[in-house]
Amino acid sequence: MLSESARMTSSAELRFRVQAPNSTGRATAIIALDAASETVVRRLSTLPWNHATFLKALDDPPGAEPAGGEWVADLAGQPSRVQDEVNASDQVILVAAAGGRARAAATIGRACSLKRVTTTALIVGASAASDSDLSKTLAQLRPWSLMVVIANTDDYVADMMAALRV
Amino acid sequence: MLKKEQSDLLTLTGPGTPMGRMFRSYWLPALLAQELPGNECPPVRVKLLSERLLAFRDTNGRYGLIDEFCAHRGVSLWFARNEECGLRCPYHGWKYDVTGQCLDVPSEPEASGFAGKIKLKSYPLVERGGVLWTYMGAPETQPPLPEWEFITVPPAQTFTSKRIQESNWLQAMEGGIDSSHVSFLHRGDLNSDPLFKGAKGNQYNLSDSRPVFEVVESPGGLYIGARRNAEAGQYYWRITQWVMPSFTMIAPRGNHSVHGHFWIPIDDEACWAWSFDYHPIRELTAAEVAAMQDGKGIHVRCEPGTYRPVANKDNDYLMDRAAQKTGRTYSGVEGIGMQDASLQESMGPIVDRTKENLVSTDNGIIMARHRLLRAVKALVEKGVPPPGIAGEHQKVRSAAIVLPPDQPFKEGAREALIAKPAVAPASV
Repeated sequence: MLSESARMTSSAELRFRVQAPNSTGRATAIIALDAASETVVRRLSTLPWNHATFLKALDDPPGAEPAGGEWVADLAGQPSRVQDEVNASDQVILVAAAGGRARAAATIGRACSLKRVTTTALIVGASAASDSDLSKTLAQLRPWSLMVVIANTDDYVADMMAALRV
Repeated sequence: MLKKEQSDLLTLTGPGTPMGRMFRSYWLPALLAQELPGNECPPVRVKLLSERLLAFRDTNGRYGLIDEFCAHRGVSLWFARNEECGLRCPYHGWKYDVTGQCLDVPSEPEASGFAGKIKLKSYPLVERGGVLWTYMGAPETQPPLPEWEFITVPPAQTFTSKRIQESNWLQAMEGGIDSSHVSFLHRGDLNSDPLFKGAKGNQYNLSDSRPVFEVVESPGGLYIGARRNAEAGQYYWRITQWVMPSFTMIAPRGNHSVHGHFWIPIDDEACWAWSFDYHPIRELTAAEVAAMQDGKGIHVRCEPGTYRPVANKDNDYLMDRAAQKTGRTYSGVEGIGMQDASLQESMGPIVDRTKENLVSTDNGIIMARHRLLRAVKALVEKGVPPPGIAGEHQKVRSAAIVLPPDQPFKEGAREALIAKPAVAPASV
C-alpha cells in the first residue's frame, strides 16, 4: 500500500485541490524616485492592474509645510503626503534609475518602517550605468529595502508586478 | 503567480516543446561515469527530456546514447548483449553501434544493405569530470564541451552525486535559488553538518536571521545576494549563481568545499537532482568524501544500487515529529537535500503556479522565470542561442564576502565570481 505522501502527491490527486481563492489583493504603491524612472512608471500605469497606485517623488510643493521631501504626487501632479500613501498600502515598490536622485527613498522608507510595510526597490537602466552611479543609488535604497533588484531591462518591472498579483 | 500558459511553457520539456528545445541547446549531465564502469559493461536505461534512451560503452570504450528500443519490433535493448563493438538485440540478433547505426540484421542477406537503412536516434555522450554529458539538439548547433569548474579540477578535488526527484524540474530548481528558505528549513544543519560547521560565516547567518536580498542579472543568468550585517557597518554577502537553464551554485562556508546543483528533466513529472562539491585549490579529504557518500551536506543517501533516496515519498520521508518538535530538524525530515525534496514533491508533480502568492523576497524566482521566458521566446522566434552555453558563462563561482555598505556586490565580488584555476574561492 502506498504511503500517504505517495498517494497525495500523485497527478490523480491534483483534481481534489481546493479551488477557492486563497488571497485578497494587496494595495501597492509604485513610486518613481527620479525623472528617468518616472517614464517607466508612467508606461506601467497604462497597463491593467488591480490594486496599484502610481506615484512620483516630489520636491516640496509651493507653500507646503513641513518641507523636506515628505510629499509624493500622482502622475497628474496632485500632491499627497508620503505617510498617507504608505498608510493606504500593503506594499511599496520604489523605482529608481541607476545614478538617479533617489533622495526620497529615506522618507518613504521611514514611513514604511513605521507602518511595517514591505518595500521592494527596483533599479532600472543598470546595464548602461557606471559602478559609481550604481553605488550612489544603492546607498540610498539599501537601508530601506527588503529586496533590491537590479534589472537590465525595464520590462522586468511589469513582470514582477504581475507575479506579485498587483 | 504565473499564468497557466507561461507555466506550461517553462515546465514542459518533451520533444517539440519550446522549453525542451531550450534544454536541447546545452550539454546536459546524463549519467555518472561510474554507471558505465568498463568496456562491454551492462547498458543503462536513461530517460531525459521525456525520451527513453539507453547508454552503453562498447568494446573499444566508446560511449553511446541511443533510442532504447530495437527498430525491428520494439524490444528494449536493455536486454541486449554488449559485444564486439555493438549492442545485439537478443530477440532476433539485430545489432547497433554507439551512433545507433544498425550493423547487422541476421535474417537478411548481408548484400541486401538492409542494415544500412536502419538507424536508431542517438546523441553524443562524452565523459568530462566523472560525468557523462549529452547534447540532444541539432548537430549543426552543438556547442563546445561544458567548462564548469567542478568538472575541470583534478578528480581528487571533486565529488558528484545524483538522485531522482519526483517533481517537475522547475519547482526543484526554484528551490535552489530561493535563498530565503534557508533560515527556516535548514536552520538546524549549519552548526551540525560536517560539510558546513565551523565557518565564521555561520555566525553571521545565525546572528541575523532576517537577511536582505539583492538580485542582479548576470551574463548567464542571475546573481542572488543575501546580505547580513557584519562588523564595523559592513555587509556580509552570500552570492548564489544561477546559470541558465538549471545550474545553481551556493556560496561556500569557510574552507569547506563549494557546492551546487543541476536540475535536469527526466520527464515533466520527475527530474535528476545533480549535486557537486569541489574545492578549487585542494583535494577533498577522506572524511569529506565519506560525509558526501553518507548523504551529508547537499548530498542524499540513496537506496543501494539505485538513485532513489532512502527517505522518499513511499515512507513519508521518514518524518520524525519528535525531531521537529525539539528543533533538531525544522521540518522533521533529515538532511538538507531531502528537506528540500520532500517539500518540493509535496507540491505535486507540477505545482499550480496560478494559485501561488509570491512576496518581495521571491524576486530571485520571479527574475529567473522572466529570464527563462525571454530566452525561450528569443530562441523559438529568432533562433537566438540562450545564455549559459558559452564557456565564460560556465566558468563562474559563488562567493561569500564582506563588503562596504554602498558597494554593488557585483563590483566588489567581480573577481570572486569568476572561476580561475588555482585561485582560492572567496569564502568566509
